[in-house]
Amino acid sequence: MMSLKPRNVDFTETWAHLKETVAGVVGLRAVERSVWNTRFSDVYALCVAHPEPLADRLYDETRNFLEEHVAGLLQRVRGAAPLDHNDHNDGLLTRYVSAWREYSQGVAYLNSLYSYLNLQHVKRQKVSDAEIIYGSSATVTCPEHDARQLEVGELGLEIWERVLVKPLSAALTGRIVRGLAAARGSAPDPAFASTLREAIRSTVQVRAFRVRAPLALYQALVLEPYLAAAAAAHAQLAADLLAAGDVAHYTTHALAGLEREVALGARYLDSSSAEAVRACYERAAVAAHLPTLHATVPGLLREAAAEPPASTERRADLRRMYTLLRPLGPAALRPLVDAAHAQAAADGQALLAQTHSKDEAHTHFVNAMLTLHGKYSKLFSEVFGGAQAFVGALDKACSAVVNSGGAAGSAPELLARYCDCLLRRRAAADADVDDKLAAAIVVFKYVDDKDVFQKYYARALARRLIHQLSASMEQEEAMINRLKAACGYEFTNKLHRMFTDVAVSADLNAKFQQHLRDHNLATSTGFFIQVLQAGAWPLGGAMAPLAPPPQLERPARQFEAFYRNMFSGRRLAWLHHLCSGELRTRYTARQYHVAASTAQCALLLSFDAVDSWNARELRDTLQLEGDAWGRQLRPLLDAGLLLASGDVGTEEEEIPPEARVSLNLAFSCKRTKVRVTCASAPAQGGGAGGGGAAASDAGDAAHCDDDRKMYLQAAIVRIMKQRKVLRHTELIQEVVSQARGSFAPSVAMIKKCIEALIDKQYLERAPAALDTYSYLA
Amino acid sequence: MSGEDCDAFDRGDNDGQKPDKMFTLKKWNAVAMWSWDVECDTCAICRVQVMDACLRCQGESKKDSYGKQDCVVVWGECNHSFHFCCMSLWVKQNNRCPLCQQEWSIQRMGK
Repeated sequence: MMSLKPRNVDFTETWAHLKETVAGVVGLRAVERSVWNTRFSDVYALCVAHPEPLADRLYDETRNFLEEHVAGLLQRVRGAAPLDHNDHNDGLLTRYVSAWREYSQGVAYLNSLYSYLNLQHVKRQKVSDAEIIYGSSATVTCPEHDARQLEVGELGLEIWERVLVKPLSAALTGRIVRGLAAARGSAPDPAFASTLREAIRSTVQVRAFRVRAPLALYQALVLEPYLAAAAAAHAQLAADLLAAGDVAHYTTHALAGLEREVALGARYLDSSSAEAVRACYERAAVAAHLPTLHATVPGLLREAAAEPPASTERRADLRRMYTLLRPLGPAALRPLVDAAHAQAAADGQALLAQTHSKDEAHTHFVNAMLTLHGKYSKLFSEVFGGAQAFVGALDKACSAVVNSGGAAGSAPELLARYCDCLLRRRAAADADVDDKLAAAIVVFKYVDDKDVFQKYYARALARRLIHQLSASMEQEEAMINRLKAACGYEFTNKLHRMFTDVAVSADLNAKFQQHLRDHNLATSTGFFIQVLQAGAWPLGGAMAPLAPPPQLERPARQFEAFYRNMFSGRRLAWLHHLCSGELRTRYTARQYHVAASTAQCALLLSFDAVDSWNARELRDTLQLEGDAWGRQLRPLLDAGLLLASGDVGTEEEEIPPEARVSLNLAFSCKRTKVRVTCASAPAQGGGAGGGGAAASDAGDAAHCDDDRKMYLQAAIVRIMKQRKVLRHTELIQEVVSQARGSFAPSVAMIKKCIEALIDKQYLERAPAALDTYSYLA
Repeated sequence: MSGEDCDAFDRGDNDGQKPDKMFTLKKWNAVAMWSWDVECDTCAICRVQVMDACLRCQGESKKDSYGKQDCVVVWGECNHSFHFCCMSLWVKQNNRCPLCQQEWSIQRMGK
């Protein structure tokens, strides 16, 4: 119907027609389909006109037309209202929005009408996105400001911004900000709400086509003024809240305010501003009052630590406080963390200080620690969502409390005693021993001196195993495995070896009994032996010398022979101070079973054939030396099994060597089982070579110190061997981190060890630098 | 406590009359400790006590497998003793006792 061929076109005439339609399109008036088609062709014709294409002229005329049109709109929008007051309800926004609706729609249609111009004429001139962003030789300046042509739709928006928005910007900003402030207070009527929203959105849309800074107008016109106004409002709100009531009041309303603010932003502002709106609120309403808030934290925590329900409200306050402070970063939370630490530590000390009986010190200690840990783990996870910083604070507090040391004894000792009591066989079976032991590991992890704990634990384990006091071997093994999981193989190596010895001994006894039956050597004596490996058991060095009577000697010899046969290259030593026996009396009217130590059994058995002994002779025969003599004999005299003639004095004194000791043939006792208890009392183990079993604490500490020095020296040599040259501080750090698993070494001790190693020529101070060591191979 | 004891099981019906033995040993829980029968209780090669596993074995965290130590002791004809693990590495380089330089030959092994 029309030719695509370029032809001569009369611009003035065509433009006059076109202009009319353009005015219709932009004004959203009805345009007939045929007219639209004709004008579309006109645009084409002008663009390809002969002899000169008239595109540029068309473009300029269109721009002029749009500028005029928008200027007309400006008058309409401005209306009669004075611009210098900021009443958001004066109708300016409504007029603006209706003009914008009409114009933006119209311009969009116009863009379609001019699509040939856009495609063929403008696109060719347009720089690519890449050129705009990265720059090129052709584009030196910003494309928005040079004379480059825009697509007609974009041109329309540009003109809108330049001609209409600019003169009105202050008025628009003022009304929008006021409108938003009013919307914060109470929800506006829906019509105004949508006007406000659209006015704000127009500032985004008008620049949406731009590659660079598409939000600049929105930010300048809406966001920044709004945030400035909002900050002032928030600060006022927060100040009012703090003045009006306590922290509970503040946190509740401040948090509600935050939600309201975020909702307001989401409703009216561009989605890109959510973060800025939130940050603005936090800065103005929360961060500005940090010192006041922080000051209330210790008190809040103290009250929140009480049992619910009394503390429920305070916990809610704290939770809200945490929610408010968390986005402000670690620095704002630090006082909270510190207060949490202080509160837990103080509470822990208070729990430890509660009165308790002396015998229950270990249970009290462990229970107090578990209560502390459980209570605050729960509190912190409830209030602070279990945030890492607070878990760390609790750990630090627990560790400080555990290692603070108290009147009742050190943590390692109490904890070891606690485990010992649980693992021992008791009259009343405890159903939840396993749980309690597992819980003890929680406390164990906070103990600094794990090596000291190991010593106490090993000693208690040795006692339980040797005297068969363990409630259950499964529990023993499970506990060793728990310790191993917490501290590693090296820590439990010896415990494992002790445990293994017991299992091996059971096997050995069975084989020995079989051996006796095979050789017709079986006796009625219940002979049970435990063979321990040297080095693994904390039993101390010296053995109690004893020349056992033949009744004891015989099974011992039999076993030695059997053992030699089974193994080779092994030496057996009898640990008489750890043995125990049971005798049946045959000379009394009632039969008595006497349980006693080996030495006491030997003493009694000496009276098998002889009724009375000279004290010295008896002692020499059995080779009971030193104070062992008195200590073993005295309980037998006290029990009335033996009688001594002459003055044998009281407990503390020596039994005179001239005294005569005789068997009490008239012995009688209410019970048929007589336990000569003294044997297993600690005083007994002390001197007679059970050295380890009850050595004084001072000796113990010294022993532990020596072990630590060896450990540290080994660690230093290992590190230096690997690193060759290392600065002092780094070396200290590495050593501390290696030792942490078993104890917390003091820097002074590490320094001493370094000195010792320099003396031993493992290390030297590097000649050039003062604080550097080097390894001597 | 021997067989006769069992036969003379005549209990407390011996009023006033003295029995030939005054006591019967019913039970004896004995405790003994074993160690390698060595002159020097540290292994001269790895400087660790022979009762403990040698350095290598400790490093590998080998467990004593039920009673039998993996890391046993070995005695040479010269009566010097070492960890078996240590010595078997040593003889690969030098078939002499590290302490006395005698030709190394095994006298016995710990078990």
